[in-house]
Amino acid sequence: MALLQINDLHVRYGEIVALQGVSFDVAEGQVVTLLGANGAGKSTTLRAISGLAKPTQGDILYDGKSIAGLGPEAIVRMGISHVPEGRRVFPGLTVKENIMLGGSNRRAAKAELSREADAMFDLFPDIRKFANSLGWTLSGGQLQMVAVARGLMAKPRLLLLDEPSLGLAPVIVQAVFRIISEIRRTTTVLLVEQNARMGLSVADHGYVLETGKIVLGGKPDELWGNEAIRAAYLGGHGKVPKEAAAMPHL
Amino acid sequence: MDQALQLLFTGIGIGSVYALVALGFVLIFRATNVVNFAQGEFSMVAAFLMVVFAVDLALPYWLSFILALGGMALLGAIFNLGVYYPLRHRTFLPVIIATIGASILMANGMLAIYGPAPQVLEGWFETPGIQLGPVYLDSQYLLIIAVTLALVVFNYWFFEHTMIGKKLQATSQDKEMASLLGISVSAMIMITFIYSAVLGGLAGILVAPILFVSIQMGATIALKAFAATIIGGFGDVTGAIIGGVALGIIETFGAAYVSVPYKDAFAFMVLILFLVFRPQGIFGERVAEKA
Repeated sequence: MALLQINDLHVRYGEIVALQGVSFDVAEGQVVTLLGANGAGKSTTLRAISGLAKPTQGDILYDGKSIAGLGPEAIVRMGISHVPEGRRVFPGLTVKENIMLGGSNRRAAKAELSREADAMFDLFPDIRKFANSLGWTLSGGQLQMVAVARGLMAKPRLLLLDEPSLGLAPVIVQAVFRIISEIRRTTTVLLVEQNARMGLSVADHGYVLETGKIVLGGKPDELWGNEAIRAAYLGGHGKVPKEAAAMPHL
Repeated sequence: MDQALQLLFTGIGIGSVYALVALGFVLIFRATNVVNFAQGEFSMVAAFLMVVFAVDLALPYWLSFILALGGMALLGAIFNLGVYYPLRHRTFLPVIIATIGASILMANGMLAIYGPAPQVLEGWFETPGIQLGPVYLDSQYLLIIAVTLALVVFNYWFFEHTMIGKKLQATSQDKEMASLLGISVSAMIMITFIYSAVLGGLAGILVAPILFVSIQMGATIALKAFAATIIGGFGDVTGAIIGGVALGIIETFGAAYVSVPYKDAFAFMVLILFLVFRPQGIFGERVAEKA
């Protein structure tokens, strides 16, 4: 049985339909990557899993139990940790405080959280020297490291990572993906990426979302081999991606 | 010079009351992004609770003090559940109007029970005060300053050195992210309302022997405390305390050297000057804007 099963998931924001019948599985121990253009529903899928968005139809099964409609506080206590788009590091707290708060989903004393946060810096040595700096003083790449470290403090069975490469320099993107390949040894990961090349490089399985539906799924090399998909999402052959072509010229 | 020292003492004393109420304003604002216009009424209700326990029921002062603060904690919880919580997903305007409505309800509720005549509450100490060189230290003012100092230290320890303090800060900075980490946002907001109601209540109880206990006292204190938060930079805890004490000193000196009838006007003059020339306050333009 898969760790996470999404069945016919529908989400709407007021009048706007964000997801219209998304179904896929994530098996324990795998890295699954969701690809797709802006607005395809990638982030909404993660928000529905972590409880930030309420499904209007369909079900989300985690470890065989339905979690659709539960609040985010309950879901993270069950072992699903969501590192959202934009890092969302608390600007007025220090890096170490941010990371320690990642353990808020379980009963742990302050001293224990402090020890665990110190240990977390072994996985993220680049941010160790910023332990006592306030969140707003860090660069994008450093913030991404803090956000992932904080997400791991929840000791999740399933980690949801939303666009970890967004806005980062290529060398930093590589550092972030090295960490993801470290994490996958112990944790199941559902990754959302616009950077398809990087996203598929660490994946066991990939899915392509388009206007709220899964249009394609398969092994990374199968997806990579699909001409149409390469043209539209994976940036191959110099063709203009669909969403760019649809944009009016300003 | 002697008079100046005396005025400084009185100014710090009365300013400490503004600081306590201002702190309540700031904590609720940071947690909910809403100005609680009923914050001053918390002081008024607490002062009346003291009259009920210490005067009407003639209970010992210390017991009345504890009971009144307990009552304020309960009022804070009820206020959260009845005024803020049902409107928490709405924009700030309905919430602000609800807090104004709650403040009118509390003031007129007290009017219905006690009538318009001000009530008298004795101070905690039998001794009126002590003479220290040229300065006469009134015992009630000494108590106010001591309690405020203790609370400033407690506040610092609570927010900077406990996990619950960090969770409260995280909630005030990004509620959605806090909930993703498993922090119970509704519990954090409940704690904030209870703590702010107790702070406001403490200010009311401490100032009651100086000002008389009346249904108008809440509005007067709230306006001064609001001015203090603007001076300090809205949303800044240290700023609220310094702004409150500064306002108390300005007001006392203004009354002594310029004009007593215009005592309240000085607070608002300072408020207007700040709004025109430095709307971000003394401590404004920090973390929040740079994030």
